[in-house]
Amino acid sequence: MKMKKFINTPENLVSELLSGFAMANADKVVVEDGLVCRKSSKSADKVAVVTLGGCGHEPALSGFVGKGMLDISVPGEIFAAPGPPKLLAALRKAKRDAGTLLITLNHAGDVMSANMAKQMAEKESIKVSEVLTCEDISTGPREKPEERRGLAGCLLVCKIAGAAAEAGENLEEVTRIAQKVADNMATLAVAATSATHPSTGQVIAEVPEEDVIIGMGQHGEAGSGQMPLPTAKETVAFMLPALLEDLSIAKGEKVMVMINGVGSTTLMEQYIVLNDCKNMLTEKGIEMARSAAGEFLTVQEMGGFQMIVCRMDDELLKYYDMPASSPAFTIE
Amino acid sequence: MANTINIGKFTEMLLAAAGQIKANEAMLGELDSFGGDGDHGTTMARAMNNLIGAIEKDTSGQFQSLLMDIAWAVMGTDGGATGPLFGSLFMGMSEASPATDEIAAKQTGEIFRGGLVSIQKQTKATIGDKTIMDALIPAVEAIEAASGSDDIKTIFEAGYKAALAGAESTKDISARFGRAKNAGDANLGHQDPGATSVSLIFKGMLEALKS
Repeated sequence: MKMKKFINTPENLVSELLSGFAMANADKVVVEDGLVCRKSSKSADKVAVVTLGGCGHEPALSGFVGKGMLDISVPGEIFAAPGPPKLLAALRKAKRDAGTLLITLNHAGDVMSANMAKQMAEKESIKVSEVLTCEDISTGPREKPEERRGLAGCLLVCKIAGAAAEAGENLEEVTRIAQKVADNMATLAVAATSATHPSTGQVIAEVPEEDVIIGMGQHGEAGSGQMPLPTAKETVAFMLPALLEDLSIAKGEKVMVMINGVGSTTLMEQYIVLNDCKNMLTEKGIEMARSAAGEFLTVQEMGGFQMIVCRMDDELLKYYDMPASSPAFTIE
Repeated sequence: MANTINIGKFTEMLLAAAGQIKANEAMLGELDSFGGDGDHGTTMARAMNNLIGAIEKDTSGQFQSLLMDIAWAVMGTDGGATGPLFGSLFMGMSEASPATDEIAAKQTGEIFRGGLVSIQKQTKATIGDKTIMDALIPAVEAIEAASGSDDIKTIFEAGYKAALAGAESTKDISARFGRAKNAGDANLGHQDPGATSVSLIFKGMLEALKS
């Protein structure tokens, strides 16, 4: 597959995209020293929320910066985490007595940078707590969270932790709530068509013409199940029960379902899939308390989506419903 | 025979290592395409450009602070695990180095061991996991074993030989760490790009000693 992208030199991808991103969202974010920061900063007595991650997944993760969401996003290179110095700079910038919650997606580079930056920050008496998101059920069992990748479910952690921080909860409480979301969500991805790495032009995911691959990661990492293209309903029948089972969701419980388009799967398809999720949950006697569909964390032009299920209770619903205003996600 | 190494020669060695990586950027990217996303070559080239930048800016003229400056520059590569891993290698080497402009041959073992200990704080990967450790661990052990020889060239010859053998051994195993572990057996039959980078670094250092 030949790469067909409107880009310039590979070396400048990140700086150019961040520059355009800031222009397009000038009412919500500013880019300072390579860090994407909230335009109207939060009062210093409230906990700051920071995340880090590679670019190429737009609007994630910098699209989650804004009121009621993240204070700072630390962008890396294309599909590659930022180094510890840049994260340390963000932690210094966010430094406050109330402390900072760091949300890290479970990928090797992100975890290493986070660990090193946290150690350095602690030496400077910067108060940081961390929540790791590892919710991809295709890469490991629930008992081995370290084997599970962090996928688009991080949006829910950012949203709910961001709301708790905005509401003035202390670091311990914001961390507890963020961890509760992380523990109660599960994600499964399906890939329909492949994508190319924008710097190298290399195909990052081989998906056979007639098939889909369930469980493919957001950098084209191998998935677990390959099958001929199913209907939306069949796809949901494969994916949703696996997620519900992983979370041990029982009849009568409330869940949120999020369909995250990863690039070239249309919103039309995402809505159809979401509708099928609702139907299946109704059949099972599970309440779909909240839902969302859209492109939150993409993988270039890859076709497919990630299905995220999160067990909701009154506490999580309260924070989920609080106002949020970020480039990629808004609650009014 | 040289039983000491000064900062000028050491700098030449590092620049030659960077040269090896940059000359093999495309090959490293291709190796990464069998399990990763094909960016190891460009990422390592950026890391080496940062290393060169740190060397050019350094005015200290001594091992400890030169290596620390390089560590920060390499960590700042923003290239996933590459920055923290190679950055902590240099950081550990710095911490094990004296603040002098010359080191004795017998000190090389403890300096590289310091680097290895530091990198092992960041990753649990060990020999057989198809990572940089397959080349780095044997190289450091060989350098330690040869440190008694009192000849810098003999020491780095041993290090390169072990790193090269270690990198070649990764051909026959599947990745168990990093992003490549999720690629199944796609990388079987191909050398690990990270281990290959380590052997290229030792190759460059040895070549600078021979010139």
